[in-house]
Amino acid sequence: MVLLATWLANIQSQFILCFIQDDRWKRYILKGLGNTIKMAVFAVIIGIIIGIIVAIVRSTHDKTADTAHKGFGRAILNIVNGICHVYLTIVRGTPVIVQIMIYYYLIFASSNNGVLVGIIAFGINSGAYVAEIFRAGIMSIDQGQFEAGRSLGFNYVQTMRHIIVPQAFKNVLPALGNEFIVLLKETSVAGYVAVMDLTKGAYIIVGRTYTAFMPLIGAALIYLVIVMFLEWLFHKLERRLRNDER
Amino acid sequence: MKKIAKLLSLALALCLCLALFAGCGSAPAGEGDAAPPDDAAVTDTAADAEGEGDAAPTEPGGTLIMATNAEFPPYEFYENGEVVGIDAEIAAAIAEKLGMTLEISDMDFSAIIAAVQSGKADMGMAGMTVTEDRLQSVDFSTSYATGIQSIIVPEGSPITSVDDLFAEGANYTVGVQQDTTGDIYATGDIADAGLGTVERYNKGADAVQALKTGKVDCVIIDNQPAKAYVAANEGLTILDTAYAEEDYAICFAKENTELSAAVDAALQELIADGTVQSILDKYIVAD
Amino acid sequence: MTNGEVLIRVEGLEKHFKGGAIKALNGVDAEVHKGEVVVVIGPSGSGKSTFLRCLNLLEVPTGGHIFFEGTDITNPKININIHRQKMGMVFQHFNLFPHMTVLGNMTIAPIKLLKQSKADAEAKAMKLLERVNLADRAQAYPNQLSGGQKQRIAIVRALCMEPDVMLFDEPTSALDPEMVGEVLEVMKQLAATGMTMVVVTHEMGFAREVGDRVLFMDGGLLVEQGGPEEIFGSPKSERLQAFLSKML
Repeated sequence: MVLLATWLANIQSQFILCFIQDDRWKRYILKGLGNTIKMAVFAVIIGIIIGIIVAIVRSTHDKTADTAHKGFGRAILNIVNGICHVYLTIVRGTPVIVQIMIYYYLIFASSNNGVLVGIIAFGINSGAYVAEIFRAGIMSIDQGQFEAGRSLGFNYVQTMRHIIVPQAFKNVLPALGNEFIVLLKETSVAGYVAVMDLTKGAYIIVGRTYTAFMPLIGAALIYLVIVMFLEWLFHKLERRLRNDER
Repeated sequence: MKKIAKLLSLALALCLCLALFAGCGSAPAGEGDAAPPDDAAVTDTAADAEGEGDAAPTEPGGTLIMATNAEFPPYEFYENGEVVGIDAEIAAAIAEKLGMTLEISDMDFSAIIAAVQSGKADMGMAGMTVTEDRLQSVDFSTSYATGIQSIIVPEGSPITSVDDLFAEGANYTVGVQQDTTGDIYATGDIADAGLGTVERYNKGADAVQALKTGKVDCVIIDNQPAKAYVAANEGLTILDTAYAEEDYAICFAKENTELSAAVDAALQELIADGTVQSILDKYIVAD
Repeated sequence: MTNGEVLIRVEGLEKHFKGGAIKALNGVDAEVHKGEVVVVIGPSGSGKSTFLRCLNLLEVPTGGHIFFEGTDITNPKININIHRQKMGMVFQHFNLFPHMTVLGNMTIAPIKLLKQSKADAEAKAMKLLERVNLADRAQAYPNQLSGGQKQRIAIVRALCMEPDVMLFDEPTSALDPEMVGEVLEVMKQLAATGMTMVVVTHEMGFAREVGDRVLFMDGGLLVEQGGPEEIFGSPKSERLQAFLSKML
């Protein structure tokens, strides 16, 4: 009993030292969490936009490879598809930490806004993965759906927008949810470009107090809660979309 | 929702277990006598990992494991694949005095504390500075060296002295290496005082890179690496006045009193007989 | 029904796949007149489905011309989407949009393409649903329907665009036998309203009963054509005779 009481008192004093004292929860944890969420949310938005565009370009190129008229439009499509291909290769072929360093020190050398650089870096990075997820989703939709849309008089883009993409979106929702969870946790490398995200905030407390576990466990718990919330949200969204068809 | 609640409680339970482990690892020093099993357990873990059996912490023939971050010349750095430097040599001298074998374990700076508190390492030695907050979690030895925090600026910078950073309406962006004394002082003196911004980089080299690309106006960093950075990068210079002075010490887990006392005694003898000073002189050549 | 006005004229239509290795159509000439029900029959692999799919350019012909309402729609410069709005199509596998309700399936094209208001489009769709006795399924999703119901919905979905011609690509081939009748019944009703129809089918009974004209295709060529009595009563070519003997 005495031991338990001592232990509890010890935990309490550690907790006070790590989070309460000096307003550390607010200065490092809350502020870090804010940056983490800011980067994750905006990067997801950029990632989805890039991903959809690249996926449509790539699948259009693949689908129409042998049917389209040879001409100016086809030549442009070939070039754009080539650019997309290079983008996917580079982004997926290099570590995100190297990418963010390049954005921070070379491409946006004049910008001091690490969070913004993080958003751009993670958004562009995530876009490549989302693109491949969406492409798989688009390619998985039966060709008949596409033909039905075209036969009603929809042009290519309208068919994609009203008929193919909504169905593809539903099919790729689990993979997409997974990508967002990965992205959320990946934002922790922003610490390398002086952004204080949740992980770095926790590490700063470790450095200040020399308490190794309490701050990290605290940060881990926060990540866990966010991820569980995301999982719940995606699960609900998935169920709602599936219900439509039953 | 029910499932969520269940999962959450499970996660909480898991975290509490982890915290229990962490809590044991840093039982209050005053309780040291009351909880010898804890001490033994912790040391055993470290020793077992090294295949050294049940050797007591300071028994001759045992292994003394030092956790460090070998990116901090001249205190610790790599030479021919070995970690060398002031800290490494002092630690070797201490181990010799205690009749133990020194083993150096290089890791991330932030991981040193975890290694020491969990018992994976016996002590942390990496140019660590004693602060009030840190004393609540770990024990420190006698100080064995004095570090100077210097300010690096680009040549022709409007910052010509330390006081410029604290001047009315200064508002400079200061680059530091995370968790160093420069970080802690600058956070208190500049960021909290509303006199400017502090950008924390994971590595000193990153902060210097940021200085070169104009992302920060100056970098506050230990004088020794500062000299190396300025030598390697044209157009940078070190201000004559130091930002702060600090004392470096060895850190131990709080309950590891037997070991820390032995190491500290050995260290004091080495300071008294001039060994420490000769090691310092070997690495730090006076300007 | 036929009043002689040509709605679709096909000249020397060719479709080669894989750079000419596979010749699905080898120069087909045909006409579809307004108000006419043209039934296309032939063995599998004869090119009849390809022929139909070329009519609204779902397959882009590799040679020849297709004139629809006087416009050469094989000309790459024309906007095919405008013309497709006037050519309804019904597929073997229905191809309803699974993520939309029956009503959604029927109204999306009129709303997005013809700029009809939602209320107008839905009112028209409901009238068509009543015609095929499926008004009670307006809010259902395609997966909740039987095959026969799906195909009837697919037909009225195409009709919502008020097309000038309806193209049917083996509309009953994927159905369970007991559901074939309900779909053919809808098609008969549609023929009776004077809709121009081109139907690729294996249903010889339907061809004989409803068809104004029957085209027999084989080997990528239009082998024989004529009224149902001619085609089924006194086939001239050997290939047609052989085909009919297998079918009946």
